Amino acid sequence: MPKKLTVVISQSQGRNPAKRNLEEEIAATLMLEGEVDVSLVPHLYDLHADHTGMLFLKSVPGDLVIASWLFPRAARWVLDRQGVKGLEGQSLLKAAGEEDESDADDSDDEDGNGHEPNPDAVGAWDVPKRKLYCLDLRAYSDAKTYLDEIRRLARENSVQTFDLMSFIQGQPKADQLARYLNPTKRVNGHGSSPGDDSAAAGSTPALPIMDEAEATRRRWYPVIDYSRCTNCMECIDFCLFGVYGVDGQERILVEQQDNCKKGCPACSRVCPANAIIFPEHKTPAIAGADTGTAAGLKVDLSKLFGAPSAIELAAMERDNELVKDGREAVGLTVGIPKRQADKAKSHDALDDLMDGLDQMDL
Amino acid sequence: MPDDLVFPMGKYEARIPADREYADNHHWLMRHGDGFRVGFTAYSVRLLQDVYFLSWSIDPDTPVKKKQEIGEIESSKAVSSLFAPASGRLLRFNEALLNDPSAINTDNYGAGWLYEFQTDEALLSPTRYVEHLAAGWERTQALIKGQMNE
Repeated sequence: MPKKLTVVISQSQGRNPAKRNLEEEIAATLMLEGEVDVSLVPHLYDLHADHTGMLFLKSVPGDLVIASWLFPRAARWVLDRQGVKGLEGQSLLKAAGEEDESDADDSDDEDGNGHEPNPDAVGAWDVPKRKLYCLDLRAYSDAKTYLDEIRRLARENSVQTFDLMSFIQGQPKADQLARYLNPTKRVNGHGSSPGDDSAAAGSTPALPIMDEAEATRRRWYPVIDYSRCTNCMECIDFCLFGVYGVDGQERILVEQQDNCKKGCPACSRVCPANAIIFPEHKTPAIAGADTGTAAGLKVDLSKLFGAPSAIELAAMERDNELVKDGREAVGLTVGIPKRQADKAKSHDALDDLMDGLDQMDL
Repeated sequence: MPDDLVFPMGKYEARIPADREYADNHHWLMRHGDGFRVGFTAYSVRLLQDVYFLSWSIDPDTPVKKKQEIGEIESSKAVSSLFAPASGRLLRFNEALLNDPSAINTDNYGAGWLYEFQTDEALLSPTRYVEHLAAGWERTQALIKGQMNE
């Protein structure tokens, strides 16, 4: 049975009018067109597992486009942790900070930015056969770019034509959904209810949006990218705040998100596989930028020019948090990765890389 | 005057002039007026490539500690914070670079100097700096490679 593509727009934190306008323009246009199911949820990262926005996301059975103010990698693994899983859908849009190719619509990047999967990685599990497309709302300022891409994805995912049954199939079933889709607050303050025809008659349509009572608070916690994570357990050894745990299969997982210390990204610095994402950290590599592409983010040479090492920094950050908690600073004495020893990696590949710098387009 | 030294970076040869001293964060320091002129070594410039933007986060004539963050730089290949090469006093910046930092690429050992600096700390001789480069080369490669995620 053909299903409509579901598009969920995860709103920005705060009330930046430019961001709100972008969200609303995308949502309103899609609703008017009626080709996809569209919903708004609060900032993805801030949603607890039992938030109606997250319950809604979990209930979407088919292909899902999620547009958020996060790097696509961050959004994907935030969702994965919440049990919203799917095959990684390839969007033609770039993430924030990625360099413009000669043409933004250039589609020669089908294989995921050339990032080689780590053969030792745990990988995602229990992934259903549906696609999850994560779009980064920070990458473009105009709604049209997103709308064009969403329309393209909708076409790509609905080869079959819609029939009347698809309308029925698309109806939410759970009580939470009914509540979710009958919000008390409307984006533009129009008084019409969701079923009101006046909404479709040219005025701005009513958007499904969260109840004020369901307002989220800002959270801060690590997100594991299992396409990189090798289950080495360095993070659980390093973190002294009980954030990490293991599941029944002895797989590392972020167990107690809210034990994490706001602003502290120390465990991501000690992760040998760069698998730990703090989506709100100011450093793109920590926030989930896909650094796998040479044309993407730039190399940070700060360490070379005298910055404290990642391990020193991580230990300092951890000490700060320990002291704030009234505990003893431990410096470099506890849970410091053993990986320094086997740091001598293949020499040749990097010689190639250095020489390859010459061949890159500048 | 002794010959300049050379450090091989892959196929590229980084020239290390023998007429000045060095800091371990890949800056050169050369006596000038009441202190040192400080700039990037060829090793640094090689890793940065074309510099687009340079900015300083502290005022001139300010005391600094070693490893204190003092500014940032963006180039075609890299972004980086910049840190004081030693504890001392930062006297003045090379104003000419703020609008057009290209001298860092064209003349890193001359007109591309970054700032003038006073310090009493011991600095590295050219030979010691090349040894430092050799010792750190593996780690530099790992750094770049780690960030590129292979």
